[in-house]
Amino acid sequence: MEALLHNLKLSWYSIKRAPLPYALTLLILSLGLGTFFSNATLYYWMNRDPIPQKSATLFMARINSTPGDCTDCFDPPRVMSYMDMQKMSGSGISSAEAAMFSSDAYAKTVENQQATPSKVELRVTQRDFFKLFNVPFLHGEAWPDNKARMEVVISKNTALKFFSRTDVVGQEMLIDDKLYKVIGVLNDWAMLPRLYDVNGRRSAEPAEDIYLPLETAYDLAFQSNTQNRYFNVDWDGNMANYPQMARTNFVNQLQFWVQLDGPEKVQQYQQFLKNLVVDEKAAGRHTRPEGNKLDNILDVQKAMQATNDQLDAFALVASLFLLVCVVNASHLSLNRYMANQYEFSLRRALGASRWQLQSQIMADVLLSSALAFAAALLFAQLGLWTINSLLPSTAALANWDWQMLGVMALFVLLISYLVTLYPALKTSFSPLNQQLKQ
Amino acid sequence: MSVHLIIKSLLRRKVVTALLLLQLAVTLGLVVNALLLASAAKELVEQPTGLALEQIFTVRVKPTNTAMRVQPALSEVVSRQLAAIRQIPGVAAAEFTNQIPLRQGGRNSNIFEIEREDESNVNSVPYYNTGGQIFLVLGVKLIVGRELTDLDIGSENIVLTEKLAKQLFLEQNPLGKVTNQGTVVGVVSDFFSQRYASDPLFAAINFVPLEGVDRGYHLLVRVEEGQSEAVREQLTDVIRNAEPEMDIDTVMRMDENRDDVFRSEIGLATLLAVLSGLMLLVAMISAYSHAHFHALQMQKEVGIKRALGASKARVLMDVLSESWLTTAIGAGFGILVCYGLNISLAKVISIPAVPVWLPLLTLVLLLLCVTLATWYPARIATRISPATATKTL
Repeated sequence: MEALLHNLKLSWYSIKRAPLPYALTLLILSLGLGTFFSNATLYYWMNRDPIPQKSATLFMARINSTPGDCTDCFDPPRVMSYMDMQKMSGSGISSAEAAMFSSDAYAKTVENQQATPSKVELRVTQRDFFKLFNVPFLHGEAWPDNKARMEVVISKNTALKFFSRTDVVGQEMLIDDKLYKVIGVLNDWAMLPRLYDVNGRRSAEPAEDIYLPLETAYDLAFQSNTQNRYFNVDWDGNMANYPQMARTNFVNQLQFWVQLDGPEKVQQYQQFLKNLVVDEKAAGRHTRPEGNKLDNILDVQKAMQATNDQLDAFALVASLFLLVCVVNASHLSLNRYMANQYEFSLRRALGASRWQLQSQIMADVLLSSALAFAAALLFAQLGLWTINSLLPSTAALANWDWQMLGVMALFVLLISYLVTLYPALKTSFSPLNQQLKQ
Repeated sequence: MSVHLIIKSLLRRKVVTALLLLQLAVTLGLVVNALLLASAAKELVEQPTGLALEQIFTVRVKPTNTAMRVQPALSEVVSRQLAAIRQIPGVAAAEFTNQIPLRQGGRNSNIFEIEREDESNVNSVPYYNTGGQIFLVLGVKLIVGRELTDLDIGSENIVLTEKLAKQLFLEQNPLGKVTNQGTVVGVVSDFFSQRYASDPLFAAINFVPLEGVDRGYHLLVRVEEGQSEAVREQLTDVIRNAEPEMDIDTVMRMDENRDDVFRSEIGLATLLAVLSGLMLLVAMISAYSHAHFHALQMQKEVGIKRALGASKARVLMDVLSESWLTTAIGAGFGILVCYGLNISLAKVISIPAVPVWLPLLTLVLLLLCVTLATWYPARIATRISPATATKTL
């Protein structure tokens, strides 16, 4: 310990002797690391597994049932129709299944009818949604089945916003002028990235405020605010017919998720979809070629083309920038060590072992790592702020947890060691005689 | 100093030189590609839109009361809002529409001439369900035929943009042609409609009233020149006063909509430009400290040269020409890096190919930066008097 302190002190003196070259090295290194960290942070949040305990069992299912004769259309649409959803559910293979889409509405409480209603984000879905994605309840519970009912589950923040408390099970609220009963309040919950609905590259958005039963939403003509596609729909626009029309036409707006516990179940479900398409074709429907998709939750961003390309491109460039900075810093530190070579050689001549010299260098590395880490975090914060203000939909991704900080600190240590490695070896192993003569 | 001698001296310091060259090469590659992306983004943003961007405001509204979202109540609300907006001093015209130019989203559909479905089909064309003042608001010019009037409300008559009409009917007269979306009665000048439609300049306008405004509708306001800020201040209040049960989004000018549409591209280009600036800074720091260190190391050599009669200018040139040579060699490798990086980037985003002159221009820029950074240490080197420098010999 004492030796370490002594070595740290020596490092500090050597810095103080020539502060400018040292500051420049540190600046360059932390600039590179900071840029890299800010990008890595976004990349980490965009690509992490938000539900590691069960991500292997969650799948989004799609079939290529769109009408029309297209022999080379193999990709199913991103959203499914109500008819597709009905056919894909009830297989008996999955342990949970739910269809869903996002929408919005205006809500107010019954007590406060005169108030201006506030906009709320809706997730229109079925009973199993909460089970599928491990959504925690604070009070109450989900709907007992998938039937239409004027009952909603709301998030904790929504409860606080409208009722100023969380235990509001049994309370009523007006959503788009219709009366609903609150049957459940969720605990704090968010999925980041929001993999259950990545359509429209909305994977960095927060979870919704209110959860509405799917059948009720169809009855009341709620529509998806992300994507709804009509294929060969002949409709006069009369909203009174909407519920019937939307359930029996290719009005595609649903995403359908299933939980399949284990590879056999996955295989069984794939077979189930295959059989389904064969039956459909026999009945004269499903005119396009078979294009069943069963995407795991971790592949869903790619499958829905919802990856952030700008972020990927920037990741490539930021890594190259780090390379340049590391190369540069190691070049600068080589210069610095060469300037200190006389001192090193003198110590060796006086009997210092190579091990002692190495520990001196390690103290150097430790000191520069600590300084570089602090500066890199500062630059990374600056970088994140810049990226957030320049690239849309990255604002939710700019936080660090302890684990990330730890990894970053280790990374800085490694890079600092790498930067010092060659100069250190060179100074401790060069011929003594020649060095001392200078 | 001859190039031969400089190269010899560089070879004596292999690792340092290799590090320097690597860094210069990557810097050149990055700066070239960043400039390329920035210029592509600039072109994208500044392409002609056919619209007076600074004179058109857009605002999305949606009734918070569900009864107002269906006809006939909806039409009544809309006309009340439009009448109020048209009263604001400085407003030249105002109209409702289901979607606005430049922005993605709204109703798109295919269109074809009934008689030639296979040859004429265009996959994705934005449809504007709107009313009488739309042509005034957009400021488009009539090319042939007539504009739609209030008499066309609810009819199947449509007006197309020039480019769409050309695509559909080639050189034939478009007037009176029957399409799956209605009969063409007029053609107007092109305007930028939707980026990801079959073509950004394709658009069709009809006067079909709004049905089911689940996603709201838009109010488009054309203001007289120089009046835009005065109108912007009042717009939200006027709309709210006309109908209080209304969710009103932020009022945006057309150029703000445009910047929003291209935000990803502008953002990435800006980020890369910032990064390029940092890289040049890093290159300058490195050139500076390299020259500085080298000048100290070479003290004796410089002293001898000076003692043997070399002028200060000569010594200055020596130090500078070494910088120039390393930069040039590094940049030579950099050209390879810049093509390699261009190919890798093209796999994730759309980026134009590298034109020949751009790496050369960047090389000049790099040389300029390096010269600037080397200047001060080089000057110090020349100031060493021969007597001090050779004292320890």
